[in-house]
Amino acid sequence: MYFKLSLKNIKKSFRDYAIYFLTLCFSVSIFYIFNSIEAQKAMMVISSSVNVFLQTISQVMNIISVFVSFILAFLIIYANRFLIRRRKKELGIYMTLGMEKGKMAKLLVCETFLIGILSLGAGLLFGVFISQGLSVVTAKLFEVDMTGYQFIFSPSAFIKTILYFGIIFVVVMVFSTFSISQYKLIDLIQADRKNEKPSIKNPVVTVILFILSLVCLGVAYGMVLKNGIAIFDHRLVIEMVLGAVGTFLFFASLSGFFLKVIQSNKKRYLKGLNMFILRQINSRINTAHLSISFICLMLFCTIGILSTGLGANTALSSGSRFSAPYDASFYVPGQVSIIDTFKEYGFDILSYADGYAEFSLYQQENVTKGLIFDKVKDMIPQENRARLENTPIAFIRLSDYNKLLVLQGEEAISLKDNQVALFSDYAELAQDLKDCLETFINKKYPVTLAGVDYEVYPKLQTKGVYTTSSSDIIVALVVPDWMTEGSEVQSTILSLNCTSPRKTMQYKLEDDLYAFQEKYEGVKDEILIKGATSEMVKSIMAGTKAIVAFVCIYLGLIFLLASAAVLALQQISEAADNRKRYEVLQKLGAEDKLINSALFKQIAIYFILPLALAAVHSVVGIKVANDVIAVGGLNALGNIVITAILITLVYGSYFMATYFSSKRILLRGK
Amino acid sequence: MGASGSGKTTLLNCISTIDRVTAGHIYIRGKDITALKSRQLAKFRREELGFLFQDYNLLDTLTAFENIILPLSISGVDHRKAEEMVHQVAQQLQITDILSKYPYEMSGGQRQRTAAARAIITNPAMILADEPTGALDSKSARALLENLENLNKNLGATILMVTHDAFTASYCSRILFIKDGKLFNEIIRGTQSRKEFFNKVIDVITVLGGDTANVF
Repeated sequence: MYFKLSLKNIKKSFRDYAIYFLTLCFSVSIFYIFNSIEAQKAMMVISSSVNVFLQTISQVMNIISVFVSFILAFLIIYANRFLIRRRKKELGIYMTLGMEKGKMAKLLVCETFLIGILSLGAGLLFGVFISQGLSVVTAKLFEVDMTGYQFIFSPSAFIKTILYFGIIFVVVMVFSTFSISQYKLIDLIQADRKNEKPSIKNPVVTVILFILSLVCLGVAYGMVLKNGIAIFDHRLVIEMVLGAVGTFLFFASLSGFFLKVIQSNKKRYLKGLNMFILRQINSRINTAHLSISFICLMLFCTIGILSTGLGANTALSSGSRFSAPYDASFYVPGQVSIIDTFKEYGFDILSYADGYAEFSLYQQENVTKGLIFDKVKDMIPQENRARLENTPIAFIRLSDYNKLLVLQGEEAISLKDNQVALFSDYAELAQDLKDCLETFINKKYPVTLAGVDYEVYPKLQTKGVYTTSSSDIIVALVVPDWMTEGSEVQSTILSLNCTSPRKTMQYKLEDDLYAFQEKYEGVKDEILIKGATSEMVKSIMAGTKAIVAFVCIYLGLIFLLASAAVLALQQISEAADNRKRYEVLQKLGAEDKLINSALFKQIAIYFILPLALAAVHSVVGIKVANDVIAVGGLNALGNIVITAILITLVYGSYFMATYFSSKRILLRGK
Repeated sequence: MGASGSGKTTLLNCISTIDRVTAGHIYIRGKDITALKSRQLAKFRREELGFLFQDYNLLDTLTAFENIILPLSISGVDHRKAEEMVHQVAQQLQITDILSKYPYEMSGGQRQRTAAARAIITNPAMILADEPTGALDSKSARALLENLENLNKNLGATILMVTHDAFTASYCSRILFIKDGKLFNEIIRGTQSRKEFFNKVIDVITVLGGDTANVF
């Protein structure tokens, strides 16, 4: 009986439920898609290191999903409350007919259950379908090849989605049962006669608040632009608080201020339905400015997160060229022959190699990087200043360096006896460091070692000496071989290129080394040799950017969905309250076209306002963020365009859905 | 006049083009309004009709002034001229001092007078009033009816009013009684005093007997 009634209710008010239903479906699909990433590997040729990363991604997704499910639970409870509000009168009638509150709750639970099942089904179907396409994106992010097409289905993501949403729906049921027990019959029956007194604010106060909000925002922008956002300190907190307060004040006073401004131009104010639209917005924003401010801040986060997510791709990938100049490198502190050590344990590393170079980095007592940086003090990059000056500077023998250059397929260099060369592979990633070092070279400053001045080779050396994902050499000296005699050996490095096919060989080397490591784990006096293949470095790079990208896009989409859905639901639930007003307009002889355009403008302003301020916030935010990550040569514009398209798509479709739903509710009498 | 369900409001809705007739024609100022298209209908409502309802139907977000000027804004009347007209009408209905107030700040009588001002500002051929005194106390009702009488006499506006109430009806010059959707009777005031006319109305109502007279 309840089942039948609920089914009928849903069918009957399906179009009212449409936005709720769509939001649920989207949430379910997004949830499924981002939890199914690990399953994508079925379609890719991957090495063991990529595999490790895919597992990491799915762990990260697990954690984020908990957070996301909280957001979604709030959203769905909120949406559900709106739906119940819209149906107060209907519930009132059930009550006058003698239905008990308990039974009414049962009815709502039944409806929630049905909608839950429907949206889970549709959302999962859609999610499984879309996740097929996601494999292409994943493969691209990891820069791996794809095998032929395979149908991808992730049972774990499937079960997880059902479990999480099941819990959310149970919570929703509890909440709606609770809210029903709170209702009084008189309120339900008279629900549509509710007469909300508009709170009219003093115009002077409004203007002052508006100016105050602009001041807050201006100061916050100014501080952000001046201080940047790289360091998290009390200033950043102040900036954030000022920004948030400014946003709240802005929306609290905007419509009143705007109304005053337009009112002063009588001709415009009294034209067509302008007066009506402005008053509509004013009356609603007075009560809704809090939620609008939240939506604005949430959209700001969305824009930031999405453009970061998309930007991570370009910012992080430009580094791999320089950090992985050889197929594989091994590193050990002190003077230990890597090749011999491997041999001792029965591992012939050279059998994988086509060409190789084993060399050492040397250091001398009391010779620090200050040797270089002291002379160009005012140009030293700000980040990690101490590290740049106070750590020992490394020496590379010219003969070793030339061997390495040949291994890379580059021309060897030659140094005069009184000449040294500046080396910095990190300079390729940090323009300010490169400028600093090149200034040193161009000004022909000498390098003074043991009281002797050495000339500096006129070209900065930036071709990397080993393949690594973790560190680069900020500055080192390439010196004639004799100068390192008597110096302490800082570390020994083996760089090699694999025999062809190089990629397959690297995978084999990786697998063999993993097996080798397992075999000797925990033996006495073990020597820790770090190593990396270029494919591994690539996959670490790719993996990092994939994690950033996936997390950001996941969160961004959920935020976007949540803000658009909240706005849409507010508008639609208010449409019912506005119905009478629009009827009056019809009776006064306003043409349908005029009324439609008034409705359109009203909803558009409601949707655009928070987005517009969020966009202004973002322009400032992204400009600053750009300065922080500009070292990677980030092309922010492209990401912003893509972000804008994404937002327009999701936000725009919610806007259109809201417009058509409201129109249907308002003009239903016709 | 007529009992509940007799068709009073339906008649009003048909004349006001809110509803469409299934058969027959309605002529206002010589125009057949049943043949108008949707855009022309809006124009017709805008220019020829004024509305007055029991629950006032004022827009709660607008001030009295804005409510009254709204029909002129919709018609695209120049704002200077429109403002002048509002003040004129407000003076006639004695609501000048409440023009800047919102509906929720006004009394029922003030609301109804504001609604009346909105109804007549376009100088319509006909004012349609559906139980305009229904929600008013007797003092406010009397004041409103006197105002309406004034409008009718001084501005020459035709007022078509639906009411239950014999007292309210006694202000009219012609009363049509409707029963079960058909015209039942018609009385014209002519030169009678309001008291005499009121008694006549009561007589007809007695004959009508509510709904029960012909049942037996």
